[in-house]
Amino acid sequence: MDSTIKKIILYIFVGCIFVVLVTRLVYLQVISVDELSKDSNKNAIKNISETPARGLMFDRNGKVVVDNKPAYTLTITPYQFDKANLNEIANLVNLPPEKLKEDLDKVKGTNRFNPVKIKRGLDFKQVSFLSENKERLKGVDYQVEALRVYPNKFRASHMFGYTKEISEKQLDKQVGDYYKQGDVIGSNGLEESYEEVLRGEKGNKFVSVDVKGREVGAFNDGKSDIPPVNGSDLILSIDADLQEYAEKLLTGKHGGIIAMDPRTGEVLCMVSKPDFDLSIFSGPTDPKDFAKLIMDKEKPLFNRAIQAKYPPGSTWKMMMSLAGLGSGELTPKSTIVCEGSFTYGGRTWEDHGAYGAIMIPTALEKSANVFFYKLGLRLGLENYDKYSSMFNFGKKTGIDLPNETSGLLPTQAYYDKVFGPRGWNQSVLINLGIGQGELLVSPVQLCAYSSAIAMNGLYNQPHLVSKIKNSITGVEENVKYDSHQIDMPKNYFEVVQRGMYLVVNGTGTAKNVKNDTYTIVGKTGTAQNSGNNHSWFVGYAPYEDPKIAICVLGENAGWGNAFGAPIAAAIMVRYLSGNSADIFNESAGSGITD
Amino acid sequence: MDKNIFKRFDILLSLTTAILITIGILAIYSATYGNATSHEFYMKQLYFALFGFALMIGLSFVPPQYMSKASYLMYLVTIGLLIAVLLFGRVIKGNKSWFYIGGFGIQPSELAKFTTILCLANYLSSGGEETRDINKPWEFIKASLIVLIPFALILKQPDTGTSLVFLSFLIPIFFWAGLSPYFLVALISFGVIAFAAFISPTYFIVAIIIIAISLLLFKRNYIISGIIVAVNVAIGFSVPKVFSKLQPYQQKRIMAVFDPSTDPLGSGYNVIQSKVAIGSGGIWGKGFLAGTQTQLKFIPEQWTDFIFCMIGEEFGFIGSIILLTLYIVIIYKLISNAYLTRSRFLSIACVGFASIILFHLVINVGMTIGLMPVIGIPLPLMSYGISSLLSFLIMLGIGMSAYRNRNLYI
Repeated sequence: MDSTIKKIILYIFVGCIFVVLVTRLVYLQVISVDELSKDSNKNAIKNISETPARGLMFDRNGKVVVDNKPAYTLTITPYQFDKANLNEIANLVNLPPEKLKEDLDKVKGTNRFNPVKIKRGLDFKQVSFLSENKERLKGVDYQVEALRVYPNKFRASHMFGYTKEISEKQLDKQVGDYYKQGDVIGSNGLEESYEEVLRGEKGNKFVSVDVKGREVGAFNDGKSDIPPVNGSDLILSIDADLQEYAEKLLTGKHGGIIAMDPRTGEVLCMVSKPDFDLSIFSGPTDPKDFAKLIMDKEKPLFNRAIQAKYPPGSTWKMMMSLAGLGSGELTPKSTIVCEGSFTYGGRTWEDHGAYGAIMIPTALEKSANVFFYKLGLRLGLENYDKYSSMFNFGKKTGIDLPNETSGLLPTQAYYDKVFGPRGWNQSVLINLGIGQGELLVSPVQLCAYSSAIAMNGLYNQPHLVSKIKNSITGVEENVKYDSHQIDMPKNYFEVVQRGMYLVVNGTGTAKNVKNDTYTIVGKTGTAQNSGNNHSWFVGYAPYEDPKIAICVLGENAGWGNAFGAPIAAAIMVRYLSGNSADIFNESAGSGITD
Repeated sequence: MDKNIFKRFDILLSLTTAILITIGILAIYSATYGNATSHEFYMKQLYFALFGFALMIGLSFVPPQYMSKASYLMYLVTIGLLIAVLLFGRVIKGNKSWFYIGGFGIQPSELAKFTTILCLANYLSSGGEETRDINKPWEFIKASLIVLIPFALILKQPDTGTSLVFLSFLIPIFFWAGLSPYFLVALISFGVIAFAAFISPTYFIVAIIIIAISLLLFKRNYIISGIIVAVNVAIGFSVPKVFSKLQPYQQKRIMAVFDPSTDPLGSGYNVIQSKVAIGSGGIWGKGFLAGTQTQLKFIPEQWTDFIFCMIGEEFGFIGSIILLTLYIVIIYKLISNAYLTRSRFLSIACVGFASIILFHLVINVGMTIGLMPVIGIPLPLMSYGISSLLSFLIMLGIGMSAYRNRNLYI
């Protein structure tokens, strides 16, 4: 084709497009000018976002544990607001005027008809002042919003989490444009992990306003309005009474408790102490209170039940026994001689007794260290890691809460990295054999492990939410979680269960918590620490038909049988008795070492 | 200087550009007027406009041999940047398309606009029309790949609007480079089919029949014609599937083109407001800084993609027509330079630049007046944004160089 023809074709094409654009402009600016000017004067659209009520939370028996109450929020519509009133409003709600000005500056450049949320939790006096002075204080208004209330005798602060005003960083990072300045967002615990379920969908009301900002009616007869959809409710697996009881037992102490139904993975109670009062977040949060919580040396915001990681101590010995059986290093009838101490490579590891040639159940009952030093060396690091990771050690259990720790399951690569390829040898397995050394686990990992042992290897993912209830249809939907069988013969678990039975019901380290009504089984543990040792207890009950598995961690609490075992036993008996029994006796510690 | 300067220097193009940039800065000033966080934007735009304008003039004196030599390298660097931004870029409004260097945001996708055109122009012009015959399948594929690589990388960000820009100059450049009308019809048919299939199955069937008949009329190889029709059918069937896989907000945006009131909160909101703003401007406009819609900030961040509203509202129909005319002058001038220059490289590049500016103009203005979907691409030389401004000024500088070198063979 000749390039002159090509040029003409391009010219014509561009000309046609020009004509189309101009035609449209003629239509808009010349023909429809009256109509659109009217729109411009009277039909600007004010878009009022309507916040849905956040979903509630219920315990396993249908008791409300997280509720809403109406509260008043001060809003300012920038377009109508007279800056001369700024100081008066700031005074009314006890905010520094600069803060108020800053909030209003932040939304400049956005739709000035959109009310900006300034302060939550107005009291009755403030609300009535606003109503009385509505005419004078143009653009100042209040909205009814739902605030969280917790009608409980317990806190469950880490479990529920809290909502707080969305930060600028979160606003920038969000995908889509759901959140606006001043919106609340779940920031911890279940409020965070189920944010999209709980929050619902915002509605929008479109109101026509004139140039002066006066409302002149609904836009498009309200046909474009989108009603808000309330958030869905969470049906939790926790038992409110048991939670209250467990929190009471741990009050004033440092540690964590987590108990679950081994048959399903449903968490029955979860406690971490010290904790904090969630209600300081539900109203207008005082930044000072929040800063105090963050700076607190006791770390009350830290959820010890899922975030704490310590060496498991002797609670690890079941894991070792299972790894020994699984790898073929041991059979249920094998014995290992325990001489009372163990020497390897010129170094000696002590034990608290000499037991002779013993099998697994006795080794667990006596918590015989030499048995597991030797077993550790025999296993080797590869088998050690292989079997431990089958029980999710070194991995997250997948509990439906944010910030769970994976703990640490040291591998060859780990040691090579930390000590250099020649800087370590097989002797690390001696300490690892008794759950000390570099190995770190969390209470939730140990609880799920104890639960899997109780269930002959059925590993259930621990979880707090069992159902999600649609707030409109009322339909309850089950939430699906992982449940899988660990590939090991049933009799291996029976050997280990027998050992745990003897710990409490024989002459073991936790015989102080033996119960006549319910057969409690378990294992104590002590995690060596630079300060006072941390104490562990893992177990389940009843032995014959497990209904509850538990892990108790006491930070700097000394021996496992003195701290963890009485608490764990009391919680299990409380639950099994239908929340009637209270067998807790703090002085039950027998002073026997594990 | 001798009077030859008027023969060598593209006065019309540089003057039009200067006027458009000036209007753009005034428009940004008005759109951000009284806005605490962005009122200094016009100053930033002004500094970069001065710098960019000098760059444009400077580029018009650079011999085209240097440009064509540098084009492959520039292209590779931009592709590198596009990959880097996917890996290390900052996420702004869900798109990973920005680097931040010393407080300035840089969008590699804006730079890719001109480097891709230069690379394609260099490829098609190297070795003359015979060796790079675009009608040969292998040459066609290689040339298309030059464009499809940045297209895919930008689509991944995901910035659908900007990625579409890369398809906009493909057909005009191939047409200019000598693609036969037969293949041209085939290429265009893909877009037509996608659109028809999106609207309704009936449109799709009608379109496929028309395309099949027009391909037959060329009396070319029936097998190839058959393949083209088959590809079209495949596109037609996949469009609804692709649509259903889009993000809900993207679907809403597309649907809102046909009926803005379906989405009065999202993209429809902007379209309703911008139509009201432009329409209420009337013939003469409401006057500078007197547009109620603009000054009330109904449209969020109007100074970026919706800057045309401010022109429509405050300068009215007359202002809008003048503005459109200025753009058309630039586009005509680029096509005319493409025709005049003896450098095949510059000629193809100019057609690419003309197409890309036209595409931005049609989509951007079209969206503000409710003719086109809300796709976030800037109005050339006017919208606030440094990367885009500089990128267009570089294109125009090269366009001016085509005028200067209209008697030069390379």
